[in-house]
Amino acid sequence: MKPFEYYSPQSVAEACALLAQLGSGAKILAGGTDVLVELRKSADDVASSIIDITGISSLKGIEESSNTIVIKPLTTHTEILRSALVGTYAPLLKTAVAGIGSPQIRNRGTIGGNIMNAAACADTVPPLIALGARIRLQSSTGDRTVALSEFFTKPYITVAQRGELLVEIRFPKLPSDARSSFMKLGRRNALSISRLSVAAILTRDQSGVLTDARIVPGASLPTWHRVSEAENLLIGHKPTRELFVEAGKKVSDIMISFTGRRWSTEYKEPVIAVLVRRALEECH
Amino acid sequence: MKFVLIRTIINGRQYDLEVTGTKRGCEIGECGACTVLMNGQAVNSCLVLAPQIDNQEILTIEGLADGEKLHPLQESFLDHDAVHCGFCTPGMLMSAKDLLDHTPDPSEHEIRTAISGNLCRCSGYQQIVDAIKEVEGVSREQ
Repeated sequence: MKPFEYYSPQSVAEACALLAQLGSGAKILAGGTDVLVELRKSADDVASSIIDITGISSLKGIEESSNTIVIKPLTTHTEILRSALVGTYAPLLKTAVAGIGSPQIRNRGTIGGNIMNAAACADTVPPLIALGARIRLQSSTGDRTVALSEFFTKPYITVAQRGELLVEIRFPKLPSDARSSFMKLGRRNALSISRLSVAAILTRDQSGVLTDARIVPGASLPTWHRVSEAENLLIGHKPTRELFVEAGKKVSDIMISFTGRRWSTEYKEPVIAVLVRRALEECH
Repeated sequence: MKFVLIRTIINGRQYDLEVTGTKRGCEIGECGACTVLMNGQAVNSCLVLAPQIDNQEILTIEGLADGEKLHPLQESFLDHDAVHCGFCTPGMLMSAKDLLDHTPDPSEHEIRTAISGNLCRCSGYQQIVDAIKEVEGVSREQ
């Protein structure tokens, strides 16, 4: 590990001032489950300063206000897993964090770190985009709110400017008649990176007709977004296996339209279709 | 509960406090050999910087036994031959303690999930699961 300067600000203002002052060599440290691994690499672009924000208590916790859930970025995956609010109003997010890493990783890793690291396999992102999450970024010169669906430009790259700190994640509560799910394909059960994943939300009216459908694949498209082409196949219809199969095939086609055919397409093409179908079936 | 200083790694230097129970394995948070309890929760100590444990409660394997008297989990590991080469054992025990502290009567699934971040290269998982399942007399007080 190369030597680095270590800072532990106790407030958001202090952290933002440090970010502005230290410039490009500074790296924010939250749960450390990615940053500490990076720090051990001998690459030239390893951070020269670490800004450890874990002492900022205002960045921790899960709150509700009328129709909204607010998750602060330092909330760990374990805290999300145990949160009654998340279990009630965003159960697909709970399912997603349950499959992240291992207990040790979930005890340290944070939702804010998962978003800001911006890996294509980040498991909290598909559920959050399906939920319509928005995030607030703060810097020494101001703050702004961005829809999470517009935050990522490509893997590991976001629209966050140097000097901006993620301070809040918020999304509308799922209505009580909505059903949601998250499915992931990994190479094993624990400590497994998502090869493909799907977040899904379905809402039916009293006659069983689908009034809302949201499908967000993970690790399959250049950036995360809802696949409206597949969602539109569902809305206005009663759910059937055939319909879900069709929606899965549509997601698969869309994926290939972005990625082209590569070595992994042979398995990803059928598997993403089945994952989507299963995720939709889970929304019962 | 007793507290023993943990051997952590910072700035490429290892401060050797002659506390060697916690094992250094992969150093990327995958193997769980370095697991310790931080404020009662299992964490990979390779992913925690030394200054981050300032004023935090850290329990390493050295603090598990009460002097010469082994912790019931350690007794159960011995009874079930749950130790082969022994390198994963300190981490396994700390993960198991976190589990039993929060879930006194875990299902087999909960046990397997609890140790899913601890790799045993001797692949002696069954004995380890049995040892955790059949541990007796675990004190549930903190």
